[in-house]
Amino acid sequence: MHGKFDDLGRFADPSLLILTSLADGPKHGYAIMTDVTAFSGVGMEPGTLYGALSRLERRGWVRPLETEERRRPYQITAAGEAVLAEQVSTMQEIVRVARLRTGMAWGS
Amino acid sequence: MRQTLADWLSRQLVAFHPRGWRERYREEMLDVLDQHQVSMWTVLDLAGSALTAHADPAYRMAGFSMARLRRAAVIPAVILASLVLVLGSLVAFAAWQERWHLSGEGGVGAVAFAPGRHLLVSAVGSAHQDSMDTVWDITNPARPRQLSAFQGGEPTVLSPDGRVLATVSFGGQAVLWSLADPRRPARIAVLPTDDGAQLWGEAYSPDGGILAVAYTDRIYLWNVASPARPRLLRTPVMPITALPAYAPQELAFSPDGRILAMVTGTGANQVTLWNVADPARAARLATLTGPNDALQAIAFSPGGNLLAGVTYHGIVPVFSLADPARPVLATTISDIMPDALWPDGLLQHPYAPPCPSCGPAAYAVGFTPDGLSLNVVVERQESSVSGDAAITNDSRDTVFTWNLTGSGAITGFSIAFRDIVGDWPTLAPDGRTVVDGAPHSNTVYLWTLPRSG
Repeated sequence: MHGKFDDLGRFADPSLLILTSLADGPKHGYAIMTDVTAFSGVGMEPGTLYGALSRLERRGWVRPLETEERRRPYQITAAGEAVLAEQVSTMQEIVRVARLRTGMAWGS
Repeated sequence: MRQTLADWLSRQLVAFHPRGWRERYREEMLDVLDQHQVSMWTVLDLAGSALTAHADPAYRMAGFSMARLRRAAVIPAVILASLVLVLGSLVAFAAWQERWHLSGEGGVGAVAFAPGRHLLVSAVGSAHQDSMDTVWDITNPARPRQLSAFQGGEPTVLSPDGRVLATVSFGGQAVLWSLADPRRPARIAVLPTDDGAQLWGEAYSPDGGILAVAYTDRIYLWNVASPARPRLLRTPVMPITALPAYAPQELAFSPDGRILAMVTGTGANQVTLWNVADPARAARLATLTGPNDALQAIAFSPGGNLLAGVTYHGIVPVFSLADPARPVLATTISDIMPDALWPDGLLQHPYAPPCPSCGPAAYAVGFTPDGLSLNVVVERQESSVSGDAAITNDSRDTVFTWNLTGSGAITGFSIAFRDIVGDWPTLAPDGRTVVDGAPHSNTVYLWTLPRSG
């Protein structure tokens, strides 16, 4: 299955986490890191964060907003939302198949 | 020490990025570093980021200078320099680890446990802001391992899953730290008050969804299901405003999470129960009045049918909560102190302190997981000042174990003791591991109670 994500390389980690974090509103760098840790347990470091943000920005999936003091909030774009939705549905499909094949129960 | 080195290395590595990249991201990245708990991983991560950015065609556009830089073999030099920096940092990190045990001012002031995750957090220093926290893996209690250390304030509770630590820090505020990766604690939220009230204690509901944060005159109930975005649910007010300064910071959820108990009263001799089955509509359920003596610690039995406490002078009230709205004082055990031996083995009556340097007793109380026994740890200490004013502490933990029926009647009794170096005992959730913090050092002692027959 090939999609828009293919040329992004390591899409499954930082980029997906950042898009998920921005899905409920713009956040600046440190807020993204703490939010990602809170919802996924993944401790994201600044180098990884800005590497991914720079790639996402060039693809037009996030857009930088006006800097507030030294902090610059980032916002997910419509294209970013579409890519996130597509990716989530792919993951749901993977989960569904994995559960079927491993006999894991739904729900609990 | 390591913090400073890692910080410095990180900032150097930001400057190692290509110029185009720096113009765009340098300021905000430095701002992130100001807030971030910088570690060796941050340094490695930034080294990787700098190398990746140099390899990125988008930042190689200044072709002229890049060509020259390449000719000058700057890139290999950068790689080498990064490796040297990383190796140097690893050496410094290892050396710093060796120094973890160095003392703080007050000795271990507080410990917190994660019931399900074999983690323990201890803190050196009594002043909240100065506390240095150490995270320990106690999977094997005989050989605890230090996982990390950070300046996070006084630890009060770990979430039941062990992933979030609540501390008192930054001027008495409640702060949540992520221990999702216990080697890299990160601050995730501050729970504010309107008026800067003094924080008194914190407790997690058994499912980890609610954090009760007590102040001297009220309790805030926060929904912390998403710890980075805590939501204030309700603020129950104490029946009697303002606790005395000597009251313990004791509050606890019942095992089913439906009742919240806290020591209250102007003499700290009461326990107020709140019905928190629906935390957004929490309401006072009952007030238990024990002996006329300040309670030092309280604990629910695993079935939630009993609540036991221990007072300043070693009186142990046991309440039956068969009907939580109408609690009954089932048993009062009063004469334990003569059996709590001083370190020299002499029997001493609590009301007649034998020497000015003998401190008051410290206590811990807890039920065994089967609910059949109640343990009360009494720690007594004698400080002696040697020639050059070095203070030595001789301490003894005496552990009283009573076998109880479901209604709180006593059916058996045993006693155990152990001479220790530390003080301020705490009982782990297993009901059998006693933790004592050593005064004047970041050392914790764990010992296990004998199984009661």
